[in-house]
This record gives sequence, C-alpha cells and structure tokens, in this order.
Amino acid sequence: MADHTKTEQPVHRNEALHRKIAIKEERKYHNVSFIMMILLTLIAFYAIWSDKVSSSFAILFILVLAVIQVFFQLYIWMHLSHKGHDFPLWGMISGILIAAITVAGIAGLIWTS
Amino acid sequence: METNQRLTDDHFPENPEKATLDGKNKFLGFWLFLGGETVLFATLFAVYIGLRDNHMDGPSAKELFQLPTVFLATMLLLTSSLTSVYAVLALKQNKVKSMIGWFLVTLLLGLGFLGLEVYEFIEYVHEGHTFTKSAFSSSFYTLVGFHGGHVLFGCLWLVTLLLRNWNRGITLTNAPKYYLFALYWHFVDVVWVFIFTVVYLMGKVG
Repeated sequence: MADHTKTEQPVHRNEALHRKIAIKEERKYHNVSFIMMILLTLIAFYAIWSDKVSSSFAILFILVLAVIQVFFQLYIWMHLSHKGHDFPLWGMISGILIAAITVAGIAGLIWTS
Repeated sequence: METNQRLTDDHFPENPEKATLDGKNKFLGFWLFLGGETVLFATLFAVYIGLRDNHMDGPSAKELFQLPTVFLATMLLLTSSLTSVYAVLALKQNKVKSMIGWFLVTLLLGLGFLGLEVYEFIEYVHEGHTFTKSAFSSSFYTLVGFHGGHVLFGCLWLVTLLLRNWNRGITLTNAPKYYLFALYWHFVDVVWVFIFTVVYLMGKVG
C-alpha cells in the first residue's frame, strides 16, 4: 500500500473499471444460477406432484436435481470457483465425503437391523 | 491502516473480506466449520432415512406433508439466498446502503420461512405428529428443527451484525463478518435443498 505513488493513478482507475465489469459479469452468473435453481426446484416438485413418474425413478431423479442445485450454490453463490479457494474446497470435499459415508453407513445399519 | 476505519472508494481492496490476516483466518476457519456442519447434518439425515418408515400409529409422511407450504418455504429461502449474494456484491463495491437493504430483505425472507415452519409444525402436532409419537416423528423434528434452528440463529446473527455496524460503513473489520454471514446463509439453503428433496418429496412417494 505504501509504495503506491501518484503516477499509478491512471492504472488504478483502469483497475476500478475492470472490477466494475467483473462484478457486472458476476451478477449475471448469480441471476442465471438463481433461475436455474428455481427451475430445478420446479421440476423436482412437479415430478412428485404430478404422479406421472414411477416412484423409484422419481427418487433417483430428484436426488440428482438436488446435487446439481448444491453445485450451483457452492460454486457460484459461495464462490468456491474463485481464486484462493483451494483450502475451503478441500475442506468441503472431505466434509461431503465423510457425510456420504455417514449417510450410507448409518442408514444402512438401521435398515438391515 | 486502521482496520476500523470506514473504507473509501479510492482505497477499496478487491476482496475486503480477505484483506487482513484476521479476515483470512475467519474465512478459512468458517469453511472448516461448514465442512463440520456438513457432517453434522449428514448424521441427522442418515438417522431420518433409516427411521422414516417407522411411524407407528401416527400419520405417515405421505399423509402428513403438505407440498404447497413446503414449496412456498423453498422459494422464500432460495430467494433469500439470492438477496444475500446481492448484498455481498454491494459489499465488494463499497455500497453500504444497498448492502444493508439487501440484507434486510434477506432477513425478512428468513423470518417468513421461519413463520411458515412454525405454522407447519403446529399443524402436524394437531394431526398427532408429536415429537415423541414415533421414531419417524422424532427424527423428523430433530432434522427439520435443527435446520430451522440454524435459520433462527442466522436471523439473530444478521440482526446483531446490522445493528452493531449500522453507522460504521464498510471497514476491514466488518467486511469479513458480513461475508461470512452470507456464506452461512447459503449453507443453510444448501441443507434445505436436501431437506425438501429427501424429507418432503421422497416422503410423498414413500
């Protein structure tokens, strides 16, 4: 911060413009992901509501929709795709991995007993 | 630079939430916390999936759940997730008023969601679906109630955050706090995505 001199002022302004464009771009991503998530939710509810899809397929189908939706949340809204998110990404992946093992393990145990 | 100083547009860092070591630590620690929360909710989901058919003589999931209420609640929470992302965008542009505005909308939507959930639970209790009725009802209330508790906590967190920083503008101290709240709020929405899918929709098809 200290070595910023007056000669860098134009660069600074240019940077500000770049940032403005980047944020505009980001807002667009957010809007698209919101619409996508609304659509995914609608499809999931419709698949169950309409009773047109067979139960076992519907369950698999809505689970896949949920996973896609979570991907949108994590990557776009929680910015996991941005720079400097390697550590959080690993944290979440290991969390999700343990979560999957937990669900399979406990649910399986109760089921078979 | 004094971290409690109101930031001006001229000296606004690109990522104010990670401009200080304190902010970086908060960011990392919070993601680790979210990883842990994922596991916590996984255990609750696992128990629910294992026990959801054991409804004894109480109402079953299929008889109980009202999809319109759940759908409305889902929309409220999903929209609140979007408004909190708008608040973070405003934060990154040093637009304090717009940020507070979006956070207030987020708060209202969150409270609306909570209201619907309370209404829903009261209805269920009237239909004999009480906490101690069956393994199904206990695991249901534990899972969904725990999520509702997270929403309630988020609302209280946001209120304190806004009140404490009302006239302070955006500083290097409070920027990470606002940012982390938004992360938390998205996470609560992520959990809800699985609740409406696994609990309500899968409950309807049996």
